[in-house]
Amino acid sequence: MECNRCDGEAIMHAAYSGAHLCADHFRESLEKRVRRRVRRDDLVPHDATPDDPQTWVIGLSGGKDSVVLTRILHDTFVDDPRIELVGLTIHEGIEGYRDKSLEACVELTDDLEIRHEVVSYEEEFGIRMDDVVEDDPENMAACAYCGVFRRDVLSRYAETLEADLLLTGHNLDDEAQTAMMNVLEGDVAQMAKHFDASLGPLTEREETDEFVPRAKPLRDVPEKEVALYAHVEDLPAHITECPHASEAYRGEIQQLLYNLEENHPGTRHSILSGYEELASIVAREYSGEDGAELRECAECGSTTTREICRKCSLLESLA
Amino acid sequence: MHVTVDVKGEDTHEVELEAANGRPTYADLLGEVDLSPHEVSVLVDGRPVPEDQPIESEHVTVLRLIKGG
Repeated sequence: MECNRCDGEAIMHAAYSGAHLCADHFRESLEKRVRRRVRRDDLVPHDATPDDPQTWVIGLSGGKDSVVLTRILHDTFVDDPRIELVGLTIHEGIEGYRDKSLEACVELTDDLEIRHEVVSYEEEFGIRMDDVVEDDPENMAACAYCGVFRRDVLSRYAETLEADLLLTGHNLDDEAQTAMMNVLEGDVAQMAKHFDASLGPLTEREETDEFVPRAKPLRDVPEKEVALYAHVEDLPAHITECPHASEAYRGEIQQLLYNLEENHPGTRHSILSGYEELASIVAREYSGEDGAELRECAECGSTTTREICRKCSLLESLA
Repeated sequence: MHVTVDVKGEDTHEVELEAANGRPTYADLLGEVDLSPHEVSVLVDGRPVPEDQPIESEHVTVLRLIKGG
């Protein structure tokens, strides 16, 4: 099978667009989509200058998504003095698993000559995820604990590193699943938050001084294509599943979306584009009337809607 | 036709496919081992192939997507 754009041998078929692409044109197409997303989300402010560069912190786990994101952002901005990239890796205390992916992060950041910071739950909170799943005082999935701690570390370090933007490697499948989950759970307020936190163009988001804005430039790219890019480019991505992974509901939605995509190619794209439009309308509707007042956590001082933030209450029950 | 499907890091399957309605594709092959083309890549001799193409090899390797990243 020939590539649609040259005489080369096709290595992939994108049923949603009908395209068959060779390795070179696939690479070009994927990079173009990521750069277009960076532009559409207004991630580079018009007033950024080489004298006052923007610091972009990338949540770098060493898995395929964050590795591909880091590589493409590096290639895009390597000669642009307005943007400085920093990789931030979190070690959750998962024996074997995170040690290996950390090696991938070190290899990548050395290779690209990007500043790299590593923080661990053990140093930050005195806990390891391997122990947390054993204790499980709240009777929750491992990801529920881990997510709370990760968000805390990412936002605190983004601030410490004076980040202007926090970027993560969420792909089209991740975001379409989240969109579906919010719709099926009827969580309209969450859609508004989702838009203001990471989906909307920076210039259209409700402004907040409390949190570093987030962005997900891979969200137009199906997960499979991210993995294929890492394979074709021979990137040092770590390829083992987290031994504690257990998001049952997300897994159910994922399977549903695979089946829908099979019979109706383009479903994930249309879910996300419709959801983003809805979320932007809802975000305007909820604008300025958040209801929940933000305050400082009595324990750690981080911004929260409760007296004691979720992270501190989890740490208390783990103590 | 007979095809060996080696799912990297997991099982190897021996699959027998009917060529009743034209030549079966790599996507048909994935269906036989309960995988979606959206969660794996098919490699023939180490090279990715489009899943909608007719099977031309008796041995394929399947790379599963890994969550997290």
